Amino acid sequence: MKLNRRTLLIGGGSLAAAATLAACGDNNPIGADPTTDGGATTPATDPTNGGATETADAPGGDVTLQQWYHEYGEAGVKEAVERYAAEYPDATVEVKWTPGDYAQILAAQLLTDDVPDVFEVEQGGSLDMIRAGQLEPLNDILDPVLADFNPSVIDRFMFEGKIYGVPQTVDMQLLYYRPSLLEAAGVEPPTTFEELVTAANAVKTADMGGFYAGNDGGVGVLGTMFIWASGHEQLNDDRTAAAFLTDDFYNALIAYREFSESGGVVQAASGEWYSPEAFINEEAAFQWGGLWSLPEIKEAFGDDVGVVPFPAIGPKGRPAVPFGAFGACVAAKGKNVEAAKQFVKWLWIDQEDKQVDFSDAYGTHVPAKPGLVPQATKLADGAGADAAKYVAENGFTNDIMWSGALGEAFGAAVSNVVKNGADPKAEFAGFEELAATELANLKG
Amino acid sequence: MRGHQGRNLWFLAFVAPFFIGLAIFVYVPIAWSAYLSFFDARNTVNPTRFVGFDNYRYLFNDRLFRDSLKVFVLFAVFIVPLTYVCSLGLALLLNNLKYGQAFFRSVFFIPMAVSYVIAAIVWRFVFFNGARFGMINSFIRSLGGDPVNWLGGGNNLYWVALISVRLWLQVGFYMILFIAGLNQIPRETYEAASIDGASGWRMLRFITLPQLRGASVAVIMLLFINAFQAFDEFYNMLGSIGSYPPYGRPPLVHLYLIAFGGGQQNLGVGGAGTMILTSIIVLFGLAQTWALGRGQEKPKKVRA
Amino acid sequence: MRQNRTLLALRYGVLIALALFFLLPFYVMVRNAFSTQRHITAAKWHWLPDQLNLTNFNNLLANDTIGIGRALFNSAVMAVLQTGGTVFVSLLAGYALARYTHRLAKVLLGLTIFTLMVPATTTFLPMFIMTAQLGWVDTFRGLVIPGMFSAFATYLFRQFFIDFPVELEDAALVDGCSPWSSFWRVVVPNSMGIVAAVSTIIFIGAWNAFLWPTLIGRDATRTVQVALSQFMTSQGVRYPELFMGSLVAVLPMLFVFLFLQRYLVQGLTTSGLK
Repeated sequence: MKLNRRTLLIGGGSLAAAATLAACGDNNPIGADPTTDGGATTPATDPTNGGATETADAPGGDVTLQQWYHEYGEAGVKEAVERYAAEYPDATVEVKWTPGDYAQILAAQLLTDDVPDVFEVEQGGSLDMIRAGQLEPLNDILDPVLADFNPSVIDRFMFEGKIYGVPQTVDMQLLYYRPSLLEAAGVEPPTTFEELVTAANAVKTADMGGFYAGNDGGVGVLGTMFIWASGHEQLNDDRTAAAFLTDDFYNALIAYREFSESGGVVQAASGEWYSPEAFINEEAAFQWGGLWSLPEIKEAFGDDVGVVPFPAIGPKGRPAVPFGAFGACVAAKGKNVEAAKQFVKWLWIDQEDKQVDFSDAYGTHVPAKPGLVPQATKLADGAGADAAKYVAENGFTNDIMWSGALGEAFGAAVSNVVKNGADPKAEFAGFEELAATELANLKG
Repeated sequence: MRGHQGRNLWFLAFVAPFFIGLAIFVYVPIAWSAYLSFFDARNTVNPTRFVGFDNYRYLFNDRLFRDSLKVFVLFAVFIVPLTYVCSLGLALLLNNLKYGQAFFRSVFFIPMAVSYVIAAIVWRFVFFNGARFGMINSFIRSLGGDPVNWLGGGNNLYWVALISVRLWLQVGFYMILFIAGLNQIPRETYEAASIDGASGWRMLRFITLPQLRGASVAVIMLLFINAFQAFDEFYNMLGSIGSYPPYGRPPLVHLYLIAFGGGQQNLGVGGAGTMILTSIIVLFGLAQTWALGRGQEKPKKVRA
Repeated sequence: MRQNRTLLALRYGVLIALALFFLLPFYVMVRNAFSTQRHITAAKWHWLPDQLNLTNFNNLLANDTIGIGRALFNSAVMAVLQTGGTVFVSLLAGYALARYTHRLAKVLLGLTIFTLMVPATTTFLPMFIMTAQLGWVDTFRGLVIPGMFSAFATYLFRQFFIDFPVELEDAALVDGCSPWSSFWRVVVPNSMGIVAAVSTIIFIGAWNAFLWPTLIGRDATRTVQVALSQFMTSQGVRYPELFMGSLVAVLPMLFVFLFLQRYLVQGLTTSGLK
């Protein structure tokens, strides 16, 4: 048994981090594509090689680096990242493609002494990972070029002056609709929540519902949207308390409850919110979904697709979209930390053509560097262009201290208010205290 | 021929693999988890910050954890008697059946071969699908009703799905235990009773049921332990990627979410949860053994 | 016991109705496995399948997301190893606990019964930490070994061996056999019924296991239950393939089950479960 202190310490931390990352589908709608990172996905194991490591033989160097990705749902990404790795001149890079619950698998691997050198982590590393000392700070390669990256992403990645991941590409969620259906019903694309309610109820038919956001009635993925779209932030500036427990927020929840009770919200459909089936199958006229689904939706409806952010709700409301990014991280415990850093710098900072290829060629994502957005063809016009604009103007993301425990308690309270008719003020009474305790704990 | 020592060595050789394995994979982990439960082990299994009973306090203040205990109690209250009655009923229906007994027995027994995952897929996507194409919803719609939201919360209908799926999967197994019990009742007992003019109902009440006491004890014990372990069908019928609703969470699912999902990795709290659940189930088992042992007359040993 | 005709007819009527209910899930599995996605998700319910050919089966085989071939292989390996390991370990221990009555044996028997009450799933979290520390995540070792020590199986064997005639073994011992060889040459060959029964229970349990394989099974060791569960909620789930996959995963168990049912019934009858 290898039970030395160091393995134990590091192992626990990575497990912690994994869990945080796996949360995207539910209470923590960070924009990243949950089907390909969080949990139950795609064991695309090749029976012939058992999903083993692909080796890209590079001419350069005697250093061999292991690089881990989760399985991207879009076709061609695997080949692309293997190609990038093969082109790296200064070391041999082995790409490990990981279907299934990537975060959990990565965490378990970080328990052992055999850690991957480079790996992608949602939001560039969680608090737990950082605290456990698993991630190597990348300030020396990132600081000189910080201004090139999307400032809101960098803002989220940075913790206490250190940054641990290089943003690879940005994912987001938004509201899909069909312009032709709205036109036929004589309504405009909604900019406020009231307009969404009106529009959804106007376009729905006997077979097609109004608005769909998941088989849980939308409370999971939309939970934090009610915070942002009603004009609040999750936590106050010094991260000591919840910053949204106001009547405006409570009324936002009540408004959504009334929307559900009006029959405008489809409660169950053939696909989850993160897949486009329900929308494509015409089970709902509006669907809350991921930007990653755009190619499939376009294939089904051509140009008859529009996107808007989640509409403003309440007097201080503002439109909002959640976004998230995978960051390329370096294991602090790796055997070749310096070489790994150089590789990350090469791929995710220097090689801009590859970064554009990665964002644009295989699905729809927003390049992490705003300067590269003009080169992304899918964002050039139509829904894609709108989406890119929303990230910049209306983007929100979970605070690094919005922990799993907070997310769970928050989600349960939202669910009770929306589904069981609980009084929001009473329901959130305990949350304030819980948040204060939890945040104090997190600060250590 | 062989000395005492030889015999003991043989004994050790026979039991060693089992008990060493048990120690390593059951008792050491439980001890470890007991240790972790007193520390702030948010991101480590080798914690340094001793927090006393804070993790236990946290769990008892955690509404979701308290709810999960309620979910278990509610689940047990439904599934235990229901399975008991249904499996006994099936066994009695099949008892002394002239034609087709083996066939019907196989039909009721065969769901045991199906996993909770696959049964959950059928229940979730066909029978209790809340969408317009779900089987029950299709019938409701064709009768002019609105689709029912079976699993989506806001009502208690998910219990219907959760209980029926487990009933379908397990009732056959317990039916077999009762059939085994019924077969052990000597035929003469019935014959004597029928000479005395006892009717079917009285025979059931005064002969069959008392004779099935042993089987009943085993069945109820197993049913409780299994209900306590509920995970698979809940997880697969209510969960989706990285998320699980706040309702319909049995203790093991909640513990799983604390440890691996829902955005947290709290091994201290997870350890405390493991200790609480283990204590509950052990206490419960002891209480049951004690109560049944007390209530039981002389245990009669009947062997087939 | 006389039964009048109507009562008997009623009894068969109830049985047939119940049988239909019990078989319905199997039917809808088949119906969906041989239907198109559009047919399954149509607004109107159809009782009959609309694609009675191998299209879905071929799609299933080609579906990397499920990886059914590899998953079935992993499940088979896990189930066989786990059954073999558990039966071996528990047979030995159960026998010894039945034959020896000194104080240590009593203590260990008590421990076994105590462990019966603490099902392994309750302690999955510490078990996982332990297994991860051993570096056994995503290995068959990790999948099989931690679950191999079943108090349930040991207890069943012990109950069986209590009634096993000692005379047979004594004869073998007199012939100069060691307890070890008398066990394997005399006791085990005469206990195949209970061995078959326990094996069936363990085998079905291992094939159908979900929680532990979810934690441990990864690329190299993902079992069919985990693969189906993950596919079920994944982006782009396709119902025909999901149900064809379920059917393919259930069929081997149905055969095992029908074949071994007799032993199972016998074993449960003769074991201590009463």
